[in-house]
Amino acid sequence: MNDIENKAEAKTPVVQPACSICDEDGKVRLRVEMPGVDKDGLEISIEKNELTIAGKPLRSEGQGTWLLRERNRGDYRKRFIIDESIDRDTIDAVLVDGVLTLTLATKEAAKPRKIEIR
Amino acid sequence: MNLILRNRNMERDPLEELERAQRELSRFFDFGLDNAGLFDRMLAPAADFLENEEGYELFVDLPGVDRKDLELTVENGALTVKGEKKETKEDKRFFRKETWSGSFRRTVPLPQAADVEKVVAELKDGVLTVRIGKREELKPRQITVAAR
Repeated sequence: MNDIENKAEAKTPVVQPACSICDEDGKVRLRVEMPGVDKDGLEISIEKNELTIAGKPLRSEGQGTWLLRERNRGDYRKRFIIDESIDRDTIDAVLVDGVLTLTLATKEAAKPRKIEIR
Repeated sequence: MNLILRNRNMERDPLEELERAQRELSRFFDFGLDNAGLFDRMLAPAADFLENEEGYELFVDLPGVDRKDLELTVENGALTVKGEKKETKEDKRFFRKETWSGSFRRTVPLPQAADVEKVVAELKDGVLTVRIGKREELKPRQITVAAR
């Protein structure tokens, strides 16, 4: 983690990837778009209440003259503050076609409970 | 306490409503350009285009786009990438939405030296890479100056 951080800060600019967050059956689903990032270039870490996603896209372009240059040239990095009620142990991460899908579940204890009336 | 009373069942995504209205209007004002209606929101994904001695390289950011939803055509000296980025069905209530979905199109004019017979395309990790060769006769060449 530190390695990636240092490299990112030293050379390449850092950009925030586009991200969508939605609610799905009580679970929080994060969808982060990081084109060019594969499994090896991705780091997800949780420290206390901070969730960090860092992605390093693979650069396959050679040398030459740029006729167009619109794509992001930096590394991806996004930080979220997550609530206490999120279960840290059951975070599910899937990376397909440059889109990372994180599923965060809430802890059993934090779920709304129905109180039965006797 | 909320000032506005909200009913979950009535809650609708305003963007979705707007898109639906746009679709209706586009259908009404159909000008015949393939699915480019009057109010169609055609997105153009970001692209990089590189030229070197051997040929050209085009990179297009297409995260979450499936290979089968992608179409590449070369016509009249221009390369067109078009397709559809599908939204996953299970996404319901959004807290934040920065990603987009829908149809997109990107056209890049090809330089004269580009050889349309030599095009190789690859989609990997959400990045489309298109490599286009250069015509032999148009490659830069060195002219030796004869000493007399």
